[in-house]
Amino acid sequence: MTKTYPEIKLDALREVANIGSGTAATALSVMLGRPVNISVPTALALPLADVVDAAGPPDALVTAVVLPLFGDLQATALLLFAPEDRASLCNLLGVDPDSDMGLSALAEIGNILGSAYIRALTMMTSLELEPRPPQTTTDMLAAIVSTVLAAGAEETDIALLLDSELMVEGAECSLSFMLAPGKDGVDEILARLGLDA
Amino acid sequence: MVRMGELSVSSTPGHVLATIGLGSCIGLVLLEASRPLAGLAHIVLPSSNGGSDAAIGKFADRAVPALLEEMAARGARRSRLRAVLVGGAQMFSLDTASTLNIGQRNEQAVREALTDAGLPVHAAATGGNKGRTVRVYVDSGRVTVKVPGEAEVELFSRTEGAKVSL
Repeated sequence: MTKTYPEIKLDALREVANIGSGTAATALSVMLGRPVNISVPTALALPLADVVDAAGPPDALVTAVVLPLFGDLQATALLLFAPEDRASLCNLLGVDPDSDMGLSALAEIGNILGSAYIRALTMMTSLELEPRPPQTTTDMLAAIVSTVLAAGAEETDIALLLDSELMVEGAECSLSFMLAPGKDGVDEILARLGLDA
Repeated sequence: MVRMGELSVSSTPGHVLATIGLGSCIGLVLLEASRPLAGLAHIVLPSSNGGSDAAIGKFADRAVPALLEEMAARGARRSRLRAVLVGGAQMFSLDTASTLNIGQRNEQAVREALTDAGLPVHAAATGGNKGRTVRVYVDSGRVTVKVPGEAEVELFSRTEGAKVSL
């Protein structure tokens, strides 16, 4: 069944994203020893194709850390780095961005940020959620986002994407953090927040 | 631009049907061998399980007949249709039931639906773990594929048939 979410529910999801990304930003800040700012998150509930468009230029080359989440609901957390952000983040950590070490450092950042985000989410909703080991890949933005969305697209034509940007102060470096819950996942989060479907 | 779950058919000279960044999705191209007429469907998942309210191009079991019908409505003859498949990559090796090899299952479902329709696959660039961009030039009946970091490759042309096997 295709359905959309009213503004009050999107607001609640935005707040979830806000707290989640705030926690993730704190974790990143501790790791880098620098302040990290977050943008006001966007919560998009749109047809699949529109969500892919909204994510950015389809052929932009990005490095993604994909973090599958399991437990009371299925969702995928996704960290996206543009090539220059990947490079400056690796420089801040003192590793070569083009080496295996660089990739595994990014995966580890994904793991730490994802876990922080999930911890905030589970505390707000009392959901049991557990991230699986992260995977990294570098490819076209549309190929990555559409593949993540396809996994949850069986039941619905509407995809929900929570997107926030983390900006490292004093360095040309930002990354976006997306949470793409499957359809049941969204309803479950909303129900736990007291907003039944 | 043919986006997730969409399909498009054109006989307009100069038109290019394209999908940028196919991951696990399949781009199914149908070309009429004798004149400028081409269709592209951006298929997301293998089976609609009987549901019918989704975008027409989303599920392989509905998208393949729908694209065939659309081509036929423009006067394409089944015997002159050429089918080209692009996409179906496994972008991540995530070990879960819902994401397990969606790309591979998509390709299989599209191939089965084409077989049911009596249509062979003339060229394919599928599988692997990289995203692909597909472009279909209505005039020339050329189909090109581009993978990040590599040159664009011509996969098929109306006059010369399959060019490379990827």
